[in-house]
Amino acid sequence: MDLLLGSIAAGIVLGMVIALVALGLTIIFGVMEIVNFAHGEFLMVGMYTGLLTAQATGTDPIFTLPVAAIVGFLLGVICYAGFIKFLIRGPMVAQLLGTFGLMLFLRNLALLIFGSSDRTVHHGILVGKSFDIGMGIILPATKAAAAGLSVIAFLAVWLLMNRTKIGKALTATALNAQAARYMGIPTEKMNALAWGIGGGSVTVAGALIVNFWAVNPFMGLLFTMIAFTVVALGGFGSVPGAFFAGLVVGLIMEIPGFWDFFTYTFDWPWMADVPMTSLKYMWIYVAYFVITVIRPRGLFGWKH
Amino acid sequence: METLKNAVDFSDFPRIDLVIAGAVAFLFLIFPLFSASSFAMATMIQFFMFSLYGMGWNTIGGYGGQVDLGKAQYVGIGAYTTAVMLLRWDIPFWVSMPVGMGIAVIWSFIIGYPLFRLKGHYFAIATIATSLVLKDLFTVWSFVGAARGLEISPITYPPPDYMRLIFKEDIYYYYLILGFFFLGLLYMNWFRKSRLGFQLRCIKDNEDMARSLGINVHWAKIKTYAIATAFVSMVGSFHVCYIKVIEPVDIMSLDLSILIALMAMLGGAGSLWGPIIGAGVLIPLRSYLKEWLGAAAGLVGIDLIFYALIIMIVSAFEPRGIWGIVEKVRRRKRR
Amino acid sequence: MNRLLRLASVGIALAAVLGLMLPVKAFSAEEIKIGVIYPLTGGAAAAGRELRAGAELAAEIANGVMADLPMTMAKNGGIKAMGGAKINLIFKDHEGNPTVGADLAKKLILDDKVHGILGCYHSSVTKTVSAVCEQYGVPMINGSSTSPDLTMRGFKWFWRTTPHDKWFTKDLFELLKGLTEGKVKGVKAVPKKDIEVLAAACENTEWGSLVTEMIKLFAGEYEFKLRKTLLYADKATDLSSEVRSLKAAKPDVMLFASYTSDAILMLKTLKAEKAGPKIIWGQDAGFETPEFRNTLGDDIVGILTRTVFLPQVVEVKKVAGQVNRMYKAKTGNDLSGASARSFTGLQTWVHVIEKAGSTVPAEIQKAANAIEIPGDELVVPWAGVKFSTTGDELGQNVLGSGLIGQYQKAKDGKVALEIVYPFDVVTADMVYPFPGW
Repeated sequence: MDLLLGSIAAGIVLGMVIALVALGLTIIFGVMEIVNFAHGEFLMVGMYTGLLTAQATGTDPIFTLPVAAIVGFLLGVICYAGFIKFLIRGPMVAQLLGTFGLMLFLRNLALLIFGSSDRTVHHGILVGKSFDIGMGIILPATKAAAAGLSVIAFLAVWLLMNRTKIGKALTATALNAQAARYMGIPTEKMNALAWGIGGGSVTVAGALIVNFWAVNPFMGLLFTMIAFTVVALGGFGSVPGAFFAGLVVGLIMEIPGFWDFFTYTFDWPWMADVPMTSLKYMWIYVAYFVITVIRPRGLFGWKH
Repeated sequence: METLKNAVDFSDFPRIDLVIAGAVAFLFLIFPLFSASSFAMATMIQFFMFSLYGMGWNTIGGYGGQVDLGKAQYVGIGAYTTAVMLLRWDIPFWVSMPVGMGIAVIWSFIIGYPLFRLKGHYFAIATIATSLVLKDLFTVWSFVGAARGLEISPITYPPPDYMRLIFKEDIYYYYLILGFFFLGLLYMNWFRKSRLGFQLRCIKDNEDMARSLGINVHWAKIKTYAIATAFVSMVGSFHVCYIKVIEPVDIMSLDLSILIALMAMLGGAGSLWGPIIGAGVLIPLRSYLKEWLGAAAGLVGIDLIFYALIIMIVSAFEPRGIWGIVEKVRRRKRR
Repeated sequence: MNRLLRLASVGIALAAVLGLMLPVKAFSAEEIKIGVIYPLTGGAAAAGRELRAGAELAAEIANGVMADLPMTMAKNGGIKAMGGAKINLIFKDHEGNPTVGADLAKKLILDDKVHGILGCYHSSVTKTVSAVCEQYGVPMINGSSTSPDLTMRGFKWFWRTTPHDKWFTKDLFELLKGLTEGKVKGVKAVPKKDIEVLAAACENTEWGSLVTEMIKLFAGEYEFKLRKTLLYADKATDLSSEVRSLKAAKPDVMLFASYTSDAILMLKTLKAEKAGPKIIWGQDAGFETPEFRNTLGDDIVGILTRTVFLPQVVEVKKVAGQVNRMYKAKTGNDLSGASARSFTGLQTWVHVIEKAGSTVPAEIQKAANAIEIPGDELVVPWAGVKFSTTGDELGQNVLGSGLIGQYQKAKDGKVALEIVYPFDVVTADMVYPFPGW
């Protein structure tokens, strides 16, 4: 029973973190229909930003979040104004290819600058501490903090989108860019803003994640795929959808834990030999495939 | 007979193209005489392999307009079939290659049926997902060596072994893949003029119109996907005989899938020469950039930065690739 | 037409190859080119730096004259049998990728025309590189890859100086058995049921997969319960599922085979998930790099790792102490298992070429099969270097041996490895059980 509760708790915490990673993707997709393959690389930029700022200034990695947010915002706006703006005029093929190019560019820039070895944060207020709640639930402090911030970030974005003028302008751009332009909404600026917010939210996620995961230049793709799955499940463009889909995906990633629960609770020795942990990411890909084929709009999708 | 005539008939291209193509083909034939280093030779073999991958991709991705980013799984199926059959049952390449193509095509039907219900981004990401699922499965499947992969030992089969394609010198591989290359080119020349080829272009332009013309869009896509698969799987079989070792992380990596798509798109998707031009530009560029800047100067990754910049510029300003530029220039001249 | 052309080109190629062979034979070597393929970038780059420094130091010693160093190769100033020919190392970086390694080997052999190859650390890369060497008939000496399979393939151009994982894993189980029998210094006999349940997590390439096999084999032989084995990708960014799965098996002993960055991540995750078994044992590699020690600090006190070289060896071996001082002057670190074995690998190369007196591959092959380096020449605590030439294993050094060290806190507050196995050379009491986080 401890195993089951521990896995569920771990899955939910992980899910909140993952939802935060996917938030930026769903904002960008909500406003303009473009899929950013470089999303995981934005996360990587956030991770390196957090790591390096913490090392350079000697502060705790948790205090680097504002730096990461600024870097992410600028990165998003620069990418939009310098590149994406031209890209969206072309066909869908070119958009895919172009963001792939961006992904390759960022990844190899990181490789050139930082080398290919994994890096981790070693010191910090939260690093290495964890709470033993009992009943098998162990909560690493870093993950708990990231999960908490995820909830705050989602609330903030939700309020921004639904309760402010800018949010209404963004939504209007998303629904019908041409009509929005006639109404005097500067859609170009709105697009750039969406990229800025999207980039900022994902780099903040990165600066949090680097507290407990290692960063290397190649880790982006996995998170791009995870974020795509979350966004596909939640419905492309839906902010609340992304949050709940994140929880579901977090639990999907905990499948090895549930497997262990069945293995040891019912004592089926053959189950212990199945290399479940090696397949932990496979379920995400399977989930994406199944979801898009069965229900392309996702759980909360409002835009197809 | 008609098919054969169609395959060797290049007469709809301007004369200048054919002269250049002929000259290049002749250079390919005599290249080993002047090859200065094993490095140049290896680069050329890679160029042919990626041209063929690109041609395969071009059927579905170029003529059909479906951005497929999961071709590496079929490279893997081809390579693994050949390696497993050789290592376990000593079945030579010439048997295992068609078997591998068969398995790959069957797999492509299985996943192609649901896959082609998706469109646009959804489709592109789903192809990645299927490829990664297969990679993960191969990483834990001990029958095919799991993550360790498989190795064709150099001492079990004395080279040259024409049945199993075990050679010591690269020159054998060079002429073999060159043969495949010419065959592939002829096939593609036939394909673009075939019924399916025209149907695909129609689907690419406007799917609803294609449907109203009575084309079974879903089925046409699946069929083309299978053709692309067979191409890629064939080269995958060759690939394993050439490099003699396979690991799932390498041969089924997403990077390979992307590279295949990139070559074709950079050269010009949907044209006969596109994938060849793309591979001809990117493969030597990558090899030599890596050699000069990466290994020599210790700047790891700089080769791919240039690569990425080229891709970004082309996709933002000339989405139809190098061949698109050529055609644009030509049209302007004609005017 | 095509066929004719192919035949003609094959003829030309053969002629070209023959043409290449001739000058090599006629060439009176002034320098001996050894291609060295190591992971200079990638997840094991930290180990790569050590390996490189070890080989470079050995080459410096072989090329110069150092009268006070009791090594034959230090006195000759190059290869004496070839008129003082110098050793020239050509370093290449395989990034931990087997295919890249094979390409580099081809390039070294065909374009750089090296006389021999040293490498490659990762067993998976050594596997492909040795296959290329075998194909082209170029001798290769391996100093640090420990997958048992490598020398069981019947290769005639491959020699390995380091002992392999079959021996190392056996050492581990001897230690565990010793624990139950009260043979371990400083620990009372532990009831077997206290340390009976094992769980192993290894990286999933050639090396880790084979280590898992070995652990399975010996767990059966020594009658321990291996409740969980899992493999993980060495480029993983997150190992928490793996750690939780290990924990779920409730093992008394956790066994790992990890390269540098994954070893660090694994330990950090173990700490975050509060997994504290009674014994943690690492299979060398990542567990003995300076990075591992520097990053994790006090957290690693009590962790065991097998190795072939510890700074403590210096106390009993004079030559090791001298080389260690030179190495420390060069890099700032003590010799480790990686650098010491890389050093020994190149030292063996020097001895082999000295004995062969030429760079003709066949001569080198003959010399390598007949070589016998006495133990007092080596920095590592082995009985010597002598390659097996018959049986299942070809080219394996039969005189090697391993150690098991434990990280302990010295009086000056530094964390360092102490020898706890073999029982006759222990330098400190073993810390048991693992003190936890």
